[in-house]
Amino acid sequence: MTFGQILFILFGLVTIIAAVMVVVRRNLFHAALFLVLSFFGVAALYVLLEAYFFAAAQVLVYVGAISILIIFAVMLTRGVMGGQSGNSQWREAAVICGILLVGLVGLLSPVAINFLGRNFGGLQWRIAGGAAGLPVVSEQILANLGMGFVDLNQYALPFVLSGVLILLAMVGAIWVARERHPAEVLAERKQIAAELAADAAAEAITTPEVAPTEQHAH
Amino acid sequence: MDALNNLLSTVGDAIANLIYSLLGKNPGADFAIAMLAAILICTAAALGFMALTWMERKLVARIQDRVGPNQAGPYGLLQPIADGVKMFTKEDSTPRDADRPVYNLAPLIIAIFALATYAVIPFAPRVVGTNLNIGVFYVVAIGSASTIAILMAGWGSNNKYSLLGAFRTVAQLVGYEVPMLLNILPVVMLTGSMSLIDVINKQTTQNGGAGIPFILMLPLSAVVFIISGIAETGRSPFDLLEAESEIVAGFHVEYSGMKFALFFLGEYVNTLAISLVFVTLFLGGYAGPEILPGYVWLLLKVGVVLAFLMWLRGTLPRVRVDQLMNFNWKFLVPMSLINILAVAFLSKIFVTTAGAQTANGGILVHPIIQTIILGGTGMFILVMGLWLVARRTRALRLAEEQTLAERRAQNMATAASLK
Repeated sequence: MTFGQILFILFGLVTIIAAVMVVVRRNLFHAALFLVLSFFGVAALYVLLEAYFFAAAQVLVYVGAISILIIFAVMLTRGVMGGQSGNSQWREAAVICGILLVGLVGLLSPVAINFLGRNFGGLQWRIAGGAAGLPVVSEQILANLGMGFVDLNQYALPFVLSGVLILLAMVGAIWVARERHPAEVLAERKQIAAELAADAAAEAITTPEVAPTEQHAH
Repeated sequence: MDALNNLLSTVGDAIANLIYSLLGKNPGADFAIAMLAAILICTAAALGFMALTWMERKLVARIQDRVGPNQAGPYGLLQPIADGVKMFTKEDSTPRDADRPVYNLAPLIIAIFALATYAVIPFAPRVVGTNLNIGVFYVVAIGSASTIAILMAGWGSNNKYSLLGAFRTVAQLVGYEVPMLLNILPVVMLTGSMSLIDVINKQTTQNGGAGIPFILMLPLSAVVFIISGIAETGRSPFDLLEAESEIVAGFHVEYSGMKFALFFLGEYVNTLAISLVFVTLFLGGYAGPEILPGYVWLLLKVGVVLAFLMWLRGTLPRVRVDQLMNFNWKFLVPMSLINILAVAFLSKIFVTTAGAQTANGGILVHPIIQTIILGGTGMFILVMGLWLVARRTRALRLAEEQTLAERRAQNMATAASLK
């Protein structure tokens, strides 16, 4: 076994054990931390595949941003410190997930499985590109693809525009969640009340027999 | 002179050859050399931490009209060692209800992430941990990952102040990552590579570069980068995460002894790393006139940047939380975005090499002219941004004064009517 293989097994084990702990641990904060460890394990596997940029992106996006978000959500949730926090329908969910897992494995199995008079699975697993092995994507094609996104002469403009779209969404979210002046809120409430009253009045005119007492109250 | 210039790499080669002659050329020897190099770099960082604490205490003391440490050794030079002994011998206390594994792991993880940055920083020609082709990105990724450790410390201590400090930290670190990344981007655009060595080469005259440090080309990026760098390391005036007068000491209030020392180490090693990255990106790293060896240039430049950071620490009051957020999202980020667009277009319009001109068109200019155009644009954006902020601040202040005057008049009228 080479050094690389030992490292692969080591990091693979760390990733899998951490992933299992995420599900098993009752303390939500610990589960979130194990999730981070699992992300790190995946990043290490990327490094072993010599995909350094991917590994750094994994650390930046998943460890640096998404897991922080998760931990924040966990911290602001009730009953984290040892409280009972479970879904009452977990048994049903477990049964459905189990059936789905068995079904998927059956569908993908290389050996045909006869179930209720029908054959499932039996897929012929072949290597794409025939007996010669996997089709080799030349490094140049991948490099060109990557350069296309950052080169100002190629697809940089659409790429940047899609980024601007996300920025617009963010600005919209900030606008929705903005802190408003109390007077503004009051004015809006008054307007809504006026609209409701107008609707009620219009309804009262079209259908005068409905609830005359209520109309009187207004 | 050559021997002096290549001192670090010569010594490194000698050690490597010694290990090879002892173990033979095999993967085991490579591994041993890599481990030794990692230990040496970490030791250098830790020594830098010691020097930095002494320098900071002396400089801030001078600013505050004090003497600073002067009892241990000449000029108090042995003070860091005395501090270390004190830290080692202190009682290591743990809160009763602390989340023990999380509480104990947090300082270790902080120290690990702080030291991990040094793997890609070039100290002299050929003296670099590893020349990753994504060096700049690696630095940012590692910096963002250390947020987790601070959250762990804040949560694991089971203390309200710790948790408040951790929350503040996350809001601050996640927010200030944005302008930091946005201002590394112009450097990467001009260099065409994310490797820190390529960035340095671009700023020298030897390997196809123009010999102009990027701080002249991208003054706005340099300013915003160092500001967000200070915020990322949680130094004053952005030390909200450990504001002593508000939340005691933030996320590390429950730590003592060596664990506290590890937090301290993490903070200072991070400060040193940010200064090193700033020097590499904007001041040309170890490059400089050949009257001094490369590592001496690096030390000098880092010393100047660190003195600047300490000057800020000694003179500026702490910002408020709302000021912190407004400053980031309403000032630094929009300005950086405009700067990126300006640099992208201008660096394509005004090209410096004939090859780039034949490939993409544009106007061929001398590198100095390009520097003046880019630098002038950056300064213009900076001045415009400052002007807008100053105008808005003035309007707000005048409005507040008017409200106060109206209220005072009303109170006077009420008082007069009561008589």
